[in-house]
Amino acid sequence: MKGSKFTRRDLLKSTALATASVVGAPLAAPYVHGAYAAGKLSLGLWDHWVPGANDTLTKLCNEWGEKNKVEVHIDYITSQGEKDKLTAAAEAQARTGHDIMSHRDWNIVVHHQAMEPVNDVVGDLIKQNGPISPVAEYLANIDGQWAGVPTTVGSQVKPCCSRFDLYKQHAGIDLQDIFPNDESKYVKAKTDTWTWDTYLSSAEKLFKAGYPVGLPMGQTSDAVDWVAALFKSYGVVMVDEKSDIRINSPETRTALEYLKKLMAVNPPEVYAWDDAGNNRWLISGKGSSIMNPPSAWSVAKRDNPEVAKNCWTHAMPMGPKGRFVGQLPQFYGVWSFSQNKPAAKDLLRYISQKDSARRLVAASNGYDLPSFKSFYDFETWKTVEPPVGTVYSYPPRGDEQTSMCGAPARPDVAAQLYNQALPTVMVSKFTQGNEKLDDVIKWAEGELEGYLRS
Amino acid sequence: MVDVTHPLRSAAAPAAPAAKTGLNRLMRRRSSVAFLMCLPLIVIITSLVIYPAGYSMFLSTLNKAQTKFVGLDNFRFLLKRDVFLMVVWQSAIFAITAVLFKALIGLVTAHLVNNLPAKGQRKWRGMLLVPWVIPLALSTLSWWWLFDPTHSAFNYVIEAFGGEPIAWLGNPYWARFSVILVNVWYGAPFFLIMYLAALKSVPEQLYEAAKIDGANAWQQFIHVTLPMMRNIIAITVLFSLIVTFANFDIVQIMTAGGPRNMTHVFATYAFLLGIRSGDIPLGASVSLFMFPILAISAVFILRGVRKRGREIG
Amino acid sequence: MTAVTATSVPRVRASRVQGSLQRGRRWALVLSYVFLVIFAVFFLIPPYYMIVTSLKSNAEVAHLSSNPWLLSQGFTFEHFRTLLKETDFLIYFKNTAIVTVCVVVITMVVSVLAAFSLGRMKFWGSGILATGIFLTYLVPDTLLFIPLFQIVRGLGLLNSYWAMVLVYPTLTVPFCTWIMIGYFSSIPKELDEAAMIDGANHMQMLTRIFIPVALPGIIAATIFCFTVSWAAFVYPMAFLYSSDQLVLTVGTVTSLIRADVYQWGMLMAGALLAAAPPLIIYAFLMDYYIAGLTAGATKG
Repeated sequence: MKGSKFTRRDLLKSTALATASVVGAPLAAPYVHGAYAAGKLSLGLWDHWVPGANDTLTKLCNEWGEKNKVEVHIDYITSQGEKDKLTAAAEAQARTGHDIMSHRDWNIVVHHQAMEPVNDVVGDLIKQNGPISPVAEYLANIDGQWAGVPTTVGSQVKPCCSRFDLYKQHAGIDLQDIFPNDESKYVKAKTDTWTWDTYLSSAEKLFKAGYPVGLPMGQTSDAVDWVAALFKSYGVVMVDEKSDIRINSPETRTALEYLKKLMAVNPPEVYAWDDAGNNRWLISGKGSSIMNPPSAWSVAKRDNPEVAKNCWTHAMPMGPKGRFVGQLPQFYGVWSFSQNKPAAKDLLRYISQKDSARRLVAASNGYDLPSFKSFYDFETWKTVEPPVGTVYSYPPRGDEQTSMCGAPARPDVAAQLYNQALPTVMVSKFTQGNEKLDDVIKWAEGELEGYLRS
Repeated sequence: MVDVTHPLRSAAAPAAPAAKTGLNRLMRRRSSVAFLMCLPLIVIITSLVIYPAGYSMFLSTLNKAQTKFVGLDNFRFLLKRDVFLMVVWQSAIFAITAVLFKALIGLVTAHLVNNLPAKGQRKWRGMLLVPWVIPLALSTLSWWWLFDPTHSAFNYVIEAFGGEPIAWLGNPYWARFSVILVNVWYGAPFFLIMYLAALKSVPEQLYEAAKIDGANAWQQFIHVTLPMMRNIIAITVLFSLIVTFANFDIVQIMTAGGPRNMTHVFATYAFLLGIRSGDIPLGASVSLFMFPILAISAVFILRGVRKRGREIG
Repeated sequence: MTAVTATSVPRVRASRVQGSLQRGRRWALVLSYVFLVIFAVFFLIPPYYMIVTSLKSNAEVAHLSSNPWLLSQGFTFEHFRTLLKETDFLIYFKNTAIVTVCVVVITMVVSVLAAFSLGRMKFWGSGILATGIFLTYLVPDTLLFIPLFQIVRGLGLLNSYWAMVLVYPTLTVPFCTWIMIGYFSSIPKELDEAAMIDGANHMQMLTRIFIPVALPGIIAATIFCFTVSWAAFVYPMAFLYSSDQLVLTVGTVTSLIRADVYQWGMLMAGALLAAAPPLIIYAFLMDYYIAGLTAGATKG
């Protein structure tokens, strides 16, 4: 019916669709080798916010297209209002649309049944470039099958971005000294001082000085990512691999009690922030530190240069179980109903090469973070300014590890607890709603039970 | 449900005296012509509303991966979720409060405008209609920015007067207030024009008569204006209730359901479950919950309209 | 509610009132204006804020020290210029105009025909149909968009603004039909009887008698339809993604908000320009609109 692979799931799915008297999925032309000469490929890609970043990606795709005589058509789809997810859901449901779609966070998990496995592409990339980010693997390798290729474009981590002038002046901490713009100069004794407890005590001082840190506590990804990173460094497990609910633990209680103290020195509006809230907070000059990719810094460069030249991106604080930073990779997925899968895979191979990644990172001013650690040595992170080295530590350096909210739970369970923002709702109930700790944990257990339903 | 067609009944009575010859044939022709005229409507409604709605109902009976028929399990599951029950409750509060204030503000402003000298009416009417004309998605965006915690222009004013800034969208109760406020802002002008026109159609003689009976302004309002406007109030409220209940733009843009899920309504929660969390059947089930609630209120309101229609004639 | 009571007084014929009443009347009028100003301020805050913001520079928008309600550092038309010259705003505008005109025409033809038949003629099932139309208004569009996506795909209209011409009527037809039923059934019966005797057929009756008589209602329905399709959001959000196919609402929001970066000046400029066409149409046709809407709705 379509392509070569045909699983029982596909059968069930297509029967279900057929019974609903839907026009059957179009018959895919069997791929004949070399047939993508003069073929067509359509891509629905994430619309990058950095001006000009899309152009570099378009150029890469066209280079490949000219070489292979394939007409490449790209639609850049914004993530604003979750428009990209809306489009992906509709395409998956109707089994038609682009050949390649880019997927943010959990969308590979959500749609993996409608996606072509790309084990060969990712396998080769790992062979070339060494180990891949465990977060990317958790999000896109489902039941041993890679359903998506981790992208460079739009992939990010969310470390601290702080005003080093304010930290020096009001908290007596020299962030540039602890996290210099050269990994070989990292000193363990210094980086070890940057713990969540230090973070809290400095946040309290900055709060008193009138420059609070701004940590979002809404229900969007910036908020969930940093809370999850903190949870992880305190050893909180929400649901384990065996789908046992483990939220009711001393670790959770410690983390929540800590957060109660930390949230008290945040501005009250953090509970309403969307992903842009912390950016505006930093850019406005009111805030001393946020946890975000360097987009805030780079907008500040345009709108408030005084702030930008005092910004320093650096590692997250360390907790009892280590130092973790939230990572949010993006992926390219090839729909199983694509008409030109081999061509699609070949294009993905091309734009995932180290050289391509280098160009993409440069085009995004260092915002994009590839999933291979061996790519972290790109020039861009060393040269972008002001001040020189401000985003050097944006790629995890030293002992910083990446983490994903919800791991190690079954991905579809983690996807729900992420999208429904269980961690931040829990924290808000406790810190803002002043509910009892036991009640909050009980509520979370109930929610998790619901997510476990398949 | 035939109630709804009340106005049709009298009108549709065949013009019997006109057709003496071949009455039957005419009737037959007449009804087939009538049917043909309705055909485009029937086609549109069937293919673009009824079929998709039916398909969504089918979707709502599947499991998450859409591989298995689970009957009413999705609905049963929802009814056990705290968050969903909160959503039902919040949707009701949101819709009822918003519609109430829209109706009230519409009524007051309609009265005020109606009492102005004829010359100035157009100008005021034009100004008061502006909210309804700006595309909702864009005006909500500007509201959102007015409420934005870091840049809130409202807080600027409050602070200028020495007050404490308000976390408009950060505090769940203020957030509820804010989304309702935006809905009222957007919807009140619609009530205003509906009421304004209705006010104009109240015969002047009724007021004269009431005055001769010694009624004061308030009594005139209660005994003349309100009864005359009751139907249009009911219908406007019904339409607004439907639109408000199903509203997606305002909540999605302003709060996306937060903080602590305390502003989620049906549409945004359905979107969260169906699209963001990838459980389309569950999302469809949430949307479907709206239908019976609205249908019941529609039946009640329309029945009232019909009954009063009979009384007044 | 005191305002209402007070201002009901001016209904009194001026020629017959005493001096004290006249004073009361003047007070009532003053009070009316006071309350109207309060409401007008409430209604006009966002548009005013849009105008101010659209004229500010990015730097001034970002700074917190300056008064957000005023233009304290001069004004700039930069946002309007960039919006019109460097973005696809004009394309969105054109697409929206095409879609809206088509939707208005389709809706009006469909609903006038159907309303005439349901309001003035009768056939088997017409009562149920009229009720049914109302009930379709209860189906939320968030429920429909996934199945509709499949229909749109089946017709090959994916990512084309013509798909909007297809799906918007589901938002407009029920309400417009409902208004028109009310309007048609309020027209005296004698009219069609007279026409029938003159030997006019149903189509002639509709075009020569009913449409001219019901013109205010038709205009009201047209304006309603125009506003709805001009401002529609959920369907284009789901069905369109190429920038040459987007419509105003979605295009403005999606091209001017990039991830967590908002171009406020341009967004506001875009919102103002997008609001202009409906505003102009209302300004010209408002009287008809008011007359039409109520006649339709009260009777319906």
